[in-house]
Amino acid sequence: MVIQKEKKSCGQVVEEWKEFVWNPRTHQFMGRTGTSWAFILLFYLVFYGFLTAMFTLTMWVMLQTVSDHTPKYQDRLATPGLMIRPKTENLDVIVNVSDTESWDQHVQKLNKFLEPYNDSIQAQKNDVCRPGRYYEQPDNGVLNYPKRACQFNRTQLGDCSGIRDPTHYGYSTGQPCVFIKMNRVINFFAGANQSMNVTCAGKRDEDAENLGNFVMFPANGNIDLMYFPYYGKKFHVNYTQPLVAVKFLNVTPNVEVNVECRINAANIATDDERDKFAGRVAFKLRINKT
Amino acid sequence: MDPGGKKGTMTPQAQNPSPRPERGHKSSKHKKRKRKNKKGDMEELKKEVVMDDHKLTLEELSAKYSVDLTKGHSPQKAKEILIRDGPNTLTPPPTTPEWIKFCKQLFGGFSLLLWTGAGLCFIAYGIQKYFHEDAMKDNLYLGIVLSVVVIITGCFSYYQEAKSSKIMESFKNMVPQQALVIRGGEKMQINVEDVVLGDLVEVKGGDRIPADLRLISAQGCKVDNSSLTGESEPQSRFPDFTHENPLETRNICFFSTNCVEGTARGIVIATGDDTVMGRIATLTSGLTVGKTPIAAEIEHFIHLITAVAIFLGVTFFGLSLILGYGWLEAVIFLIGIIVANVPEGLLATVTVCLTLTAKRMARKNCLVKNLEAVETLGSTSTICSDKTGTLTQNRMTVAHLWFDRTVYEADTSEDQTGRIFAKGSDTWFILARIAGLCNRADFKANQETLPVPKRATTGDASESALLKFIEQMYSPVSEMREKNPKVAEIPFNSTNKYQMSIHLREGSSQTHMLLMKGAPERILQFCSTFLLNGKEYPLDDEMKEAFQNAYLELGGLGERVLGFCFLNLPSSFSKGFQFNTDEINFPMDNLCFVGLISMIDPPRAAVADAVSKCRSAGIKVIMVTGDHPITAKAIAGVGIISEGSETVEDVAARLRIPVSQVDARAVKAIVVHGSELKDLNSEQLDQILKNHSEIVFARTSPQQKLIIVEGCQRLGAIVAVTGDGVNDSPALKKADIGIAMGITGSDVSKQAADMILLDDNFASIVTGVEEGRLIFDNLKKSIAYTLTSNIPEITPFLMFIVLGIPLPLGTITILCIDLGTDMLPAISLAYESAESDIMKRLPRNAQTDNLVNHRLIGMAYGQIGMIQALAGFFTYFVILAENGFKPIDLLGIRLEWEDRYLNNLEDSYGQQWTYEQRKVLEFTCQTAFFVSIVIVQWADLIICKTRRNSIFQQGMKNKILIFGILEETLLATFLSYTPGMDVALRMYPLKIMWWLCAAPYSVLIFVYDETRRYIIRQRPGGWLERETYY
Repeated sequence: MVIQKEKKSCGQVVEEWKEFVWNPRTHQFMGRTGTSWAFILLFYLVFYGFLTAMFTLTMWVMLQTVSDHTPKYQDRLATPGLMIRPKTENLDVIVNVSDTESWDQHVQKLNKFLEPYNDSIQAQKNDVCRPGRYYEQPDNGVLNYPKRACQFNRTQLGDCSGIRDPTHYGYSTGQPCVFIKMNRVINFFAGANQSMNVTCAGKRDEDAENLGNFVMFPANGNIDLMYFPYYGKKFHVNYTQPLVAVKFLNVTPNVEVNVECRINAANIATDDERDKFAGRVAFKLRINKT
Repeated sequence: MDPGGKKGTMTPQAQNPSPRPERGHKSSKHKKRKRKNKKGDMEELKKEVVMDDHKLTLEELSAKYSVDLTKGHSPQKAKEILIRDGPNTLTPPPTTPEWIKFCKQLFGGFSLLLWTGAGLCFIAYGIQKYFHEDAMKDNLYLGIVLSVVVIITGCFSYYQEAKSSKIMESFKNMVPQQALVIRGGEKMQINVEDVVLGDLVEVKGGDRIPADLRLISAQGCKVDNSSLTGESEPQSRFPDFTHENPLETRNICFFSTNCVEGTARGIVIATGDDTVMGRIATLTSGLTVGKTPIAAEIEHFIHLITAVAIFLGVTFFGLSLILGYGWLEAVIFLIGIIVANVPEGLLATVTVCLTLTAKRMARKNCLVKNLEAVETLGSTSTICSDKTGTLTQNRMTVAHLWFDRTVYEADTSEDQTGRIFAKGSDTWFILARIAGLCNRADFKANQETLPVPKRATTGDASESALLKFIEQMYSPVSEMREKNPKVAEIPFNSTNKYQMSIHLREGSSQTHMLLMKGAPERILQFCSTFLLNGKEYPLDDEMKEAFQNAYLELGGLGERVLGFCFLNLPSSFSKGFQFNTDEINFPMDNLCFVGLISMIDPPRAAVADAVSKCRSAGIKVIMVTGDHPITAKAIAGVGIISEGSETVEDVAARLRIPVSQVDARAVKAIVVHGSELKDLNSEQLDQILKNHSEIVFARTSPQQKLIIVEGCQRLGAIVAVTGDGVNDSPALKKADIGIAMGITGSDVSKQAADMILLDDNFASIVTGVEEGRLIFDNLKKSIAYTLTSNIPEITPFLMFIVLGIPLPLGTITILCIDLGTDMLPAISLAYESAESDIMKRLPRNAQTDNLVNHRLIGMAYGQIGMIQALAGFFTYFVILAENGFKPIDLLGIRLEWEDRYLNNLEDSYGQQWTYEQRKVLEFTCQTAFFVSIVIVQWADLIICKTRRNSIFQQGMKNKILIFGILEETLLATFLSYTPGMDVALRMYPLKIMWWLCAAPYSVLIFVYDETRRYIIRQRPGGWLERETYY
C-alpha cells in the first residue's frame, strides 16, 4: 500500500511493547493514563454491577416461581431409567474368583449401599405398608410433611442380602448378585396399578446360553406398587427405593456376557431407541475362573 | 496539431515550444533507478528510450533495416524476421493463472483466520481421538464446517471477480486489426501481429498505427497521440527530423496511436513490447501494488480478534489448570476457546456486503474489478485526475465567437441544445459560411438519425467542431457546400498558418469568393477592412486593439482561436477562371476580417458539480495532464482551481510584481509544469502537495504521473487516479485505486485499473466515494452486530470449564447462529442508509480511523455481548430449574453429568436421570440459549443500525433488515420445532415461556444503547463518545 512498512528489528518491537506497557513520557500504562484507567474501570464496575443486579433479580424472580415440592416440568422423565449396583465405570461386572481384590471393591460398595436397607433401620424409620397398592399420601390442602415411606427390608433380598454371607454376595464363588433399581421420578405411578417385575436375559442368543440360570429376589423380580409414588427428597425423607437382586448361578466362566434387564410395567416403555437405559439396563458380566 | 501554428495561437504564453516531458522523463527514471532495484528487465524499461531512427537519413534507414524503401521486405524475409522477433503484440501482463487467483481467494486475509481455526479444530480432535476412542466429534465437525465456509466464500468471491473480469474481456477489441504493408513491392493487408521490423507500412486517416514508424513520406498526416502523451490535439507528422527527442520529433508515429487524417508511409522501427507504448505497458505491469485499505483494515481486525482470542484462551487455560483439569483437557479448552472466537460467518458477511455494493456501483456505471476496491474510493483522500476524456468531453467544441466586437458564448454542454445569439447579424451569416465552407471536415455517412454532436466526422478536431457547430447553429453544411462549390483550395500548413478556399457564389452572379481561416494574427495581416453588423469598415487601430484584447481573452481561456476573413473576388474572376494555388493568380490581400471562433475540449457538464462534491467531502482533486498548462488551467476552472483562487502567476500579475516576490505559501492554487517537476526533489514535491490545496500538473510524462502518485502516498494519502491513456497506466497501477475509462480508455489502462467508469464520467466517481464510505460505515455496523454474539457463544464454554455446569451452548447451535440466524441481518446492515451526509465529512484517516477499533470490541464484547450472555444464561437456568436442576446444584456437576454410564443422576428434587434424559434436557437448554441469542440479537440489530443517531431518527426503512429479523426468527422456530431436528441437529422444541426469558435483556440492550447514544449526541467529544463511539 501507500506506506512501505519497514521491517522492524526485534529490538524495536520489544521497545514498542515496553512503551505500550509503560510509557514514561505520557505516564500511560497499556495505552491509558491512570485517570483514564480509573474512569473506564469505574464505568465497567458500574455497568457490570448493574448487570449482576439485574441478573440476580431475574434469577430470584424465577426461583420464586419454582416450587420446592415438584419440578415444574417432568416431561423429560416420562420413562424412568434402570440402573444396577454395583455401579462400575463402564457397567461391566468383572469377577476374578481367585483374585479377592477384583471383587472386594464391589462388595464394599454393596455393603455400603445396602446398609440403609437393614431391617432394623427400616423398622425404625419406615412403615409397613399394604402390598399391592400405591401408598398415596395426598396433601389435601394441608401440607403433609414429612411423608412416610414403606419398608424394604434387606432380608427380602434373600441370598443376595449379604447378611451373614460368607460368599460375599456370591462374588467369592463366582455366583455374583447384581442389584437392579428403578430411577425415582416424583409422582410417578409406576405400573399403572398393575403388578410389575424385572426380567433379565442375555442380549443375544449366545449371551443367553452363557448366562445360565439365575434367581431373583424378591421372587420373580417383583417390584411392589406400595413404593410409589415418590414425593421428592425434601418431603419423602426416608424413602427407600425398592430393589431387585439377581443372582447369577452358573455363568459360563471366562466369557463376557451381555445381560439386559428390563422392567415389565404397563406404563413404562422399554423400547426407546436413543435412551438405552429407559426402563431397562444393560451390563456386562464376566466371571474369570482358572 | 500544426507545429507552432495553431498551438501558438492558443495564447502568447503557450508559445514556448519546449514542453519536453522527456527530460523530466529521464531524470525521473534516474531517480526511480536509484530508489528501487528490481529485476534487470524493469531497469531496462526505466531507461531513456534510446532511438536514433528519427535522425537517420532514408538511406541509412534503408541500410539499417536492410529493406528497400519502395518495395519493402520480401515476404520470405518478413517471415524470417517474424519468427526471430515474434508477433507484433504487447505481451499481456503476466496474468496470474486462474488457480492462483482462486487460491488467493481461498487463503487471503480473513480466510486465513478461519483456516487457522479449522486447523486448530482438527488438532484438538486429533488429540481427543488419540486419548479417547469415542471422542466427541464436535471439534471435527467444527473444523469441517469452517473449511467448508472458507471454501464456499472463496468460490463465491472468485466467481464474483471472474464475472467482472469477463466484462473486462468484452472490452477487448476482438476484431483483429489490419495493417497495410508493402512487401516485395506489393501492397497487402495483413494482421497487425504479423508486422515485422523494417516493414514498409502505409497508414491513412482512421487507421491505428500498427507499430512504431519512422515516416518516409506523408501527405497531411495527423496523429492523435493523446493516449500516449495526453495531448488532446492531433499533431501533424512528416518525414523531417525536427527534434532530438524521439517523442517530440515529427517523423515518428507510435504504436497504437491513431492516424486522424492524411496518409503516410513509414518503416517499422520497433514492434510489440519494444515500442514506446509497449515499454510503458511493461513498466505498468511490473509495478507492485500494495494492499487495499480494506485489506489493511481486515488485517488489523484479525490482529485484534486474535489478541482477544489468545488472551481469553490463555487466561482460561491457566484457570482450568488451577481448577485441577489435566493438561490435555486444558489444551483442548485452549483450542476450543480460541476457535470459538473466530467469527465464522463474518467472512461471508463481509464478502456479500462488498459484493452488494459492487453491484450497486456497477449499476451506477462504476465497474469494480477487485471486490476490495469497493471501499477504497470511500477512503480516498486525493484524486489525481487526468484531464482529457475524464474531466473533458474529449471532443473539440466551439466555445466562443467574437464578431461585431462582441464575445458570444456557445453552448459547450454535452447535449448542446443550441443557444440563440445574434443570429440577426449579417456578420454571423458570413462567419458561418466561412466556417462551413472553408472546412475540410465532413460527416461520415449514414448517421442522419444521430444528434449532431454525436455524429462521427472525418478530419481535424477543430474543423469537425466548426462543422458541427455550423450544422447546428446555422444550416446544413452539405447544402451550403452544394450551393457554393469549391473551386480551389490551399490546405493548412505550418508555414502558412492559414487555410484558404475559393467558392462559387450563390445565385447567378457567377463570381467567386475567397474564404480564409487560420491563426488570428496571420489572418489579420491579410485584412484591411473589418465587418461590423454586416458592413465593411476600414481596419483602424481601435479595431486592432479590440481584436488583440479578444484574442488574448479567448486564448487566456485555454481555447484554440481561429480567425476568419473573406474576400468577394471581382467579376474578372468569374466562373470558369482557373485558379492556380501554386502560383497565385488571384488577389489575396485587403481581405475583410469577420471574426474569431475559439474552441476547446470542454469540461463535462457534471464535472464541476462532482469536483465540488469531492471538495466538500474533503477530497483533494489534483489534475495531472500531459496537456499544456493554459489548457489545463482553463479546464481546471471546473473547480480544481476554484473561482477565487489565484496561482503565483496570477498574484504576480495582479500586484504587478515579479513571480519570485510572491509568497508561494500564501497561495492555494498552483500549476506545475512537467519541466519544473523534473527538477524537484521529493521533499520539494511533498512541499507542493502539502502546501497547495489546488494543484494542476501539466505536461507530465507517464513517469512523472507515477511520481506524483507516489508523492501523495508518501504523505499518507489514499490516492485515486483516473485516466484513460496508456500514459496514465503506471499511475493507475500504482494508485490505491486506479480508475480507467470504459469507453475511451485504452486496454492497457483498463488492465492497470481497479475500477472502470463505464460512462467515462468523472461524476460517477462521486457515487463511488459515497458508496465506498457508506459500505465502510455499514461494515462497521455489520461487524459490531456479528461480533456481539461472539460473547454469548464463548461464555457458555468458559462457564462450562470454570463452573462445571452442563454445556449451555454447543457447537452446532453456535454454528446455527453464526452461519444461520445472524447472517441475513448482518448483511441487511449493508443496505442501511447513511446517518448523516457522508459527503460532507472528511475522508477517514487510514492510520487512526479503523474499521474495527477497541471501542467497537469494547461495545460488542464488553457491553452488549455481556448482556446477551446473561440473557442466554438466564434462559438456561430457567429451563434447568423448571426441570428439576436448581442452579446451585449444577455447580461442579460436569463430570457426573457427562458420565455416559451414570444413569441415575439425582436432581434437586431427588429424581434420577439417565444420561440420555439429561442430555435431551441439555440440548433443550442449548436450543433455548440459541433462541435467546436470536431474541437479544433483534435488539442488537436495531441498535447497530445507527452509531450516533437514535433509531427514532433513523427509522425502520430498511426493508431487508426487517426481513432479516423475520427470517432469523422463523429460522429459529424452524430449527426448534421441526420434527426430526432432535435427531439431525439435536435441537428440541421449547415451551413458549422459554422464548420470553430473554425479552427483558433485549429491552435492556435497546434502552442501554439508546441512552448511550443520547448522551453521545448531547455531549459531543465527551468521555462516553471517546470510549464507546466506534
